[in-house]
Amino acid sequence: MSILIARKVRKTYGKRSLAQEVLKGIDLEVEKGEFVGIMGPSGSGKTTLLNVLCSIDQVTDGFVEINGQKLQGMKERTLAKFRRDELGFIFQDYNLLDTLTVKENILLPLSLSTIPKAAAEKRLQDLVSILGISDILSKYPNEISGGQKQRTSAARALISNPSLVFADEPTGALDSKTATALLDNLSEINKAKNATIMMVTHDAVAASFCSRVLFLKDGQIYTELYKGDKSRTEFFQQILNTQSVLGGEQGEA
Amino acid sequence: MKLSQLVFKSMQKNMRHYYLYFFALIFSVTLFFSFVTLQYNESIIAATKVSGTASSGFEAASYMLYFIVLFFVLYANHLFIKRRSKEIGLYQLIGMTKGLVTRLIAFENILLFIGAVSIGMVLGLLSSRLFAMILLKLLQFDAVVTMTFSKVAVVNTLMVFGVLLVIILVQMAFMVRKTTLLSLFNASKQADERVKSFSVFPMMMGAIGLGLIIYGYYRSTVLFTGQTTNLFLSMVIILATTIGGTYLVFRFSVAFLLNLFRLTKKGHLNLTDVLALTPIMHRMKGNAKSLTLITVLTAVSLAITTLSYISYYSASSSAEDEMPADYIAVDGREEPFIQALKQEGIAFEQKTFRLTSAQFDLATIFSGDVIGMFQGNTLSDALIIPLSDYHQLNSKVQLNKGEAIITGFSGFQSNIMPIEAPIDLTLLHQESEIPLRIKEVNDTAVLAWRVTAGGFIVVVEDSVFNQLQRLNSEYAIGYSTQEQTSINLTNADEETYKQVEKLYKQTGANVLFKSHEGSTVNKLSSQRSTVEYNLNLFGTTIFTTAFLGLAFLLATGSILYFKQMSEADEEAESYRILRKIGFTQDELLKGIMMKQLFNFGVPLLIGLLHSYFAVRSGWFLFGTEMTTPLLITMTLYIVMYIVFASLTISYYKKIIKQAL
Ligand SMILES: Nc1ncnc2c1ncn2[C@@H]1O[C@H](COP(=O)(O)OP(=O)(O)O)[C@@H](O)[C@H]1O
Ligand SMILES: [Mg+2]
Repeated sequence: MSILIARKVRKTYGKRSLAQEVLKGIDLEVEKGEFVGIMGPSGSGKTTLLNVLCSIDQVTDGFVEINGQKLQGMKERTLAKFRRDELGFIFQDYNLLDTLTVKENILLPLSLSTIPKAAAEKRLQDLVSILGISDILSKYPNEISGGQKQRTSAARALISNPSLVFADEPTGALDSKTATALLDNLSEINKAKNATIMMVTHDAVAASFCSRVLFLKDGQIYTELYKGDKSRTEFFQQILNTQSVLGGEQGEA
Repeated sequence: MKLSQLVFKSMQKNMRHYYLYFFALIFSVTLFFSFVTLQYNESIIAATKVSGTASSGFEAASYMLYFIVLFFVLYANHLFIKRRSKEIGLYQLIGMTKGLVTRLIAFENILLFIGAVSIGMVLGLLSSRLFAMILLKLLQFDAVVTMTFSKVAVVNTLMVFGVLLVIILVQMAFMVRKTTLLSLFNASKQADERVKSFSVFPMMMGAIGLGLIIYGYYRSTVLFTGQTTNLFLSMVIILATTIGGTYLVFRFSVAFLLNLFRLTKKGHLNLTDVLALTPIMHRMKGNAKSLTLITVLTAVSLAITTLSYISYYSASSSAEDEMPADYIAVDGREEPFIQALKQEGIAFEQKTFRLTSAQFDLATIFSGDVIGMFQGNTLSDALIIPLSDYHQLNSKVQLNKGEAIITGFSGFQSNIMPIEAPIDLTLLHQESEIPLRIKEVNDTAVLAWRVTAGGFIVVVEDSVFNQLQRLNSEYAIGYSTQEQTSINLTNADEETYKQVEKLYKQTGANVLFKSHEGSTVNKLSSQRSTVEYNLNLFGTTIFTTAFLGLAFLLATGSILYFKQMSEADEEAESYRILRKIGFTQDELLKGIMMKQLFNFGVPLLIGLLHSYFAVRSGWFLFGTEMTTPLLITMTLYIVMYIVFASLTISYYKKIIKQAL
């Protein structure tokens, strides 16, 4: 069953003569339990696509359905509650609150929930030990490194056991060891909890953790690759090949 | 690009920042200009002639106003620069010299000032008409207000704001000179207040702050009693302890208590904690000074407004104390007046009180502190009226044998030297002694102040009264007045009152005392003319202090509002994040309301408390009634604060809405 369906999604920034069409009609379906990667050159609209899929941004045209519910036409309040209960976010620029400690930041999505403190504490301890940030819990964001911020952001995304996780360049600021740890962790959550994950990345290694990779170019889906029964190394090689066919500078997001 | 082009470009881009500063400037000019225009207005000068001190009062007030304006504009400018620190840094980054940046900003400021002064003067002229009408109404002066563009006022305002501009330019130049690029970019980042471990120091400092405030309050309650030996020193101590204490409470207790609370949550915050508690803690170090200032200014302006309102409010109630009836006549002089009223068919009520005198020893009813003031001579006169006459005012009162009540004991006197019933009082007349038990002391005004000369009245059983009257007919002591008649008109209109006022004078009913040759005549005034006289005497003072109070209130309210506006701008990013991860606008707004409850509520609450104790310590020097004027001004302040808080919340609402 498809957990996410996007039909003819268009997104235009700016008005009239300044208008820039970033997404030019995207059709997309994601099955429950999939780990989908989105790749593409910088400025190709990856972040924009993620934002419209997860209801943070509005589409100009077309529609998006999550769990059979059409986002367009849903009330702002219902959408927000939906995001809070069903979705998890790992943002490119972390999006941590400066005034909160790491622990408070991670527990933020639960601040209006009825989950008992002990259960929340258990989830938190599990996550931070997997992500290796147990000893910075009482620090503030301006006292920790970029990688630690990203892992905090990941912990916050997963604390509410979301059915769909959106991750924008989650490994962008991490060294390869931490990046692998985080990706392993995402895979594990994907498998063990059958959580669906959509991850934007420009890193072929990161993409090779996915079960399917979409390539975005000029606002359209250029092609997609399935991992199938291939090993990770084979899949990685295939991604690299597609990237080189696709061209364009790949360096950053 | 030429400098002027650059200026216009950057002004255009920064309209939102300017708007606030520009508004603050216009507001200050309007306030100042309308006040100065008022000061030089002909009808106002004519109306305030009665009180000889009006013009010097106006002048003193305009200096005060200048300080308010100075402080307010400097503060607004400070916020303005802070909000633009990034832009200023950017100019330097693209290679502008500091000299050029300074000139650029100076140019902008001159433009802003010219605009604000022009607009402010026009608005000021309009509002001064309104203020003039209010003032004349206060003075009960019937005149059509014609407002003219006063040259003196224009010159005055131009000079004041010219000087202000120079000060601001110097301040700006100084700031641009001494700042490094890095510090400019970081200027909008606040100092961070967090106490990681349970620490004794802030707890002690906070406790000391609280102790200081309580001590100051205590000193204020005994300021005008026998316990205070040096009045000036006491006032200084009270001011120092309450202001210092307030700062310590803001600087240490608040963050400390909030932090303790936060620690108990062990990281599991709810949304209100996230939106209200943590930002407040985060900013407390930087905000303590301004919150203290705002609290103190609120308290001062509230106290000033209340005291002036007390005197205004008391203008009629103290007139009622002075003249407890519309018209009062003594010793039978009312006869021709009453005849005239009947002839004219004017309805009225009349009450007659028989009077006699006795003596008593002050030392028997007042405490030692007070007795010291009389320097040994403690024998005093008391006015006596019989119970049956008193029944005209209060028919319920009953006296057993040997009982009496004291009435007409109010205001200043009753505050400085209170009498607690029940108490024994022995009336004396030469060798005779009449021991009485006072069962009640009240402040009902019965006789004209001019008749009692400030003394209280003892209401006794008729038999006692008769005994004293007999004694006085043999050997008269004390008061000479034998009888007072109070006359109140029933259902009279304005015209009738004017007519009766004439009759009152023509018939000579207003004569209190006339020497045999007729060379000295003491007269009573009707209650209405007493009110008018009081209003005229206090009207200007009341108006200027109320004006200043209002200026203070608006300035502090605006500062809180401006402060919150820039805080909201700085926190827009947090709201964006919170909305992204699924919090609704309503949920965020609820947290923001809690935050505003703190930001506006705490300075208001402490300010109200401070002003309450300030007013309580000496209100009786200003009038006869504290509770109602205090409640009314406090309500007014609370309402104004609610207005400012709502403005703030609606600004936050906009920011939250735009955040995503
Ligand atoms: N809020 C916005 N307003 C206007 N243009 C935007 C906005 N966000 C993104 N863009 C433009 O849309 C394009 C795609 O941006 P983005 O989705 O961030 O790309 P990517 O994440 O793939 O690097 C870019 O050209 C960017 O300039
Ligand atoms: Mg991106």
